[in-house]
Amino acid sequence: MNFRKKLSTLKVPHNKHTAGVHSICVDPPKEVLLPMTMHAGAPAVPVVAVGDYVRVGQLVARDEGRFSCPVHATVSGTVTAIEPYQQADGTKTTIIRIESDGKMERDPNLKAPKVETLDEFLDAVKSSGIVGLGGAAFPLYGKLDALRRNKIETVLVNGAECEPYITSDHRTMVEHSDLVVKGINVLKKYMPEAKFVISIEANKPDAIEEMKRVFADDPTVEVRELETVYPQGAKQVILYNVTGKVVKGGQRLASLGVIIINVTTLSKLAQFMEDGTPLIDRCVTVDGSAIAEPKNIVVPVGTPAKYLIEQAGGLSTEPGKVLIGGPMLGHAIGSLDEPIQKATNAILAFNKKDSKLLEPSDCIHCGRCVSVCPVFLNPTAFDRAMRLENENERADTLERESLNQCIECACCSYVCPAHRPLMETNKQAKRFVRKHYAAKKEGGK
Amino acid sequence: MEKLTVSAAPHIHSGASTNRIMLDVIIALLPVSIASVVIFGMKALVIIAACVITAVVSEFLFDKIVGKKCTIGDLSAVVTGLLLALNLSTAVPVWQCVVGTLFAIVCVKCIFGGLGHNFANPAITGRVFMLVAFSEVAGGAMPTIVELEASATPLEQLANGGVVPTLDKMLLGIHGGAIGETCIVALVLGFVYMVVRKVIRWYVPVAFIGTVFVCYLAATGGDVLFAFYEILAGGLFIGAIFMATDYVTTPITDLGKIVFAVCCGLITFIIRYFCAYPEGVSFSILIMNILSPYIEKWTANTPLGGSKL
Repeated sequence: MNFRKKLSTLKVPHNKHTAGVHSICVDPPKEVLLPMTMHAGAPAVPVVAVGDYVRVGQLVARDEGRFSCPVHATVSGTVTAIEPYQQADGTKTTIIRIESDGKMERDPNLKAPKVETLDEFLDAVKSSGIVGLGGAAFPLYGKLDALRRNKIETVLVNGAECEPYITSDHRTMVEHSDLVVKGINVLKKYMPEAKFVISIEANKPDAIEEMKRVFADDPTVEVRELETVYPQGAKQVILYNVTGKVVKGGQRLASLGVIIINVTTLSKLAQFMEDGTPLIDRCVTVDGSAIAEPKNIVVPVGTPAKYLIEQAGGLSTEPGKVLIGGPMLGHAIGSLDEPIQKATNAILAFNKKDSKLLEPSDCIHCGRCVSVCPVFLNPTAFDRAMRLENENERADTLERESLNQCIECACCSYVCPAHRPLMETNKQAKRFVRKHYAAKKEGGK
Repeated sequence: MEKLTVSAAPHIHSGASTNRIMLDVIIALLPVSIASVVIFGMKALVIIAACVITAVVSEFLFDKIVGKKCTIGDLSAVVTGLLLALNLSTAVPVWQCVVGTLFAIVCVKCIFGGLGHNFANPAITGRVFMLVAFSEVAGGAMPTIVELEASATPLEQLANGGVVPTLDKMLLGIHGGAIGETCIVALVLGFVYMVVRKVIRWYVPVAFIGTVFVCYLAATGGDVLFAFYEILAGGLFIGAIFMATDYVTTPITDLGKIVFAVCCGLITFIIRYFCAYPEGVSFSILIMNILSPYIEKWTANTPLGGSKL
């Protein structure tokens, strides 16, 4: 039985230092690294060879398999290597290295896709390489595929951007409101009955004002101001707070008649429909206590972190930790050569003081994790279950505690006074349960 | 450039820590500790010192002997020692304080794995152990700043129909009893501090004390003054504020905490009203500590998008 109706959330420090600064475009880096797994789904397969000359926007890897997504050259130049690569999160992938010739010569074959039917539209979106830029990196065509089956009543345009520091979606709304309008107009064609709700946290008044201005005459678009709390932008949370709906375990969001699409994703879709530009560049927030001049920078996908930091005035002090993504959910990287990917919205570098690791101690059962969990889980129960010796018992307990409903928002780890890595344990628990039941199924055959 | 730190997300933290929480509890216990020395004299200070030192030293030695990482830095041993001391009267000899604290720390807490693994509140269990082993724990001792004729605690006086102290003396704690249970004003001060610091939920002590109050109102047919005396007397305030809000041994859910507190109140009333024994708070909390995992299970939240199992 739940004691509260409202979803729990956290007040985290915003640190949106770059919110008021216009994003800048910079010269391309000398080299880009394009991983084949910049999306959720099967890896892309390279279609170029070492030594090939490629132009901006040219296909370098095609999609292959379930929810795979093509990759395009993000600079013009020569393919110097196609090699195995270990990513920041430890997963192994293949990367294509392209040495830039500095010319940024655009592929002359790129032009606005001619689409009439839904099938043609979805095929075009598939070829664009666009993925959800809010963080999940789920291929956009996979999300829009729901249009074939479900009647979409509400399109929730996610401009919450609840992670501290990051302002790239914010800047998109302020600087490229025209693209947001165009993006919505593209979608309208295929879901004429849908209502659009642009949802923005209250700490972005200029973005709210700009969106209200450009959609003033459009009755199908509502601009909704949301409370500035973390994790307001998480799928389950924003869905509940805006529509009052809940996705059940194993249920698809679209079956509720709702699609959630990140505002920058929408702008990239608009750009693609306008002139055929696939997803090749993006706005990245460079910030943190070790960055000299925090700012938003538009760079080609695959640009190494080091280059972005240089463009933001370099490091002001010896960094202790460098993150790809926000401080709540981002990955710490071990090397500044790590490239930004399609869904990377920030590079954050922190000084030694801000990078101190906290020593975990035993759970004191204080219940802070339970009271902050937006989806009413008991994170410490997962932590306890993971210490069970018996694997069957462990898997069953985790399932019983609805482990799979965990949205991995890190609120539990953030508040834990014993400094236990609760979210990380949940991720490990999910991997364990998947493996355990897969092995059982295998053994049963 | 030196090596970069690679660690799991999140990379920022609220700043909360176990020892900060324990420190807050100690700060919340300071007013009543000072009050106990003022009311009961230096003997109170001796008892507090004996219990706290024994608690810290015994946990330190236990960790050393079993080869565990030293845990006295989390300050929970200080809290246990202090709480136990405040639940004893000045009539208790120092050696008994030492034995009781040893039992609380070693047998109730450390043997089960230390802080977070104990099934019952160490201070409460230590007190109950001393009640059973040495019989005289709470009663018998008199404040040194007043001369009272009777040597009974207000609860004993209430039970036996004796003369009870005036209401202002009840609130200030100038009457017989355990050194830390009498001064209601100081206890409430600690309660407010812990609520402000978000260490405890306000509704746990309120539900506990409220339940006892309502039960007495019902039992006495609406005798407000009597019910008021009943909640002010004995260990109800210190138990409800500092023991029924213990994290480790109470349910983790909001609803569970309330169920726990109300049940504590009911059991306290039943023991006090129907049994020969005048004090029921320790036993009620101890009984509910044991039931806590079940309450937690029955009051589990329903996950958003999931189903209750």
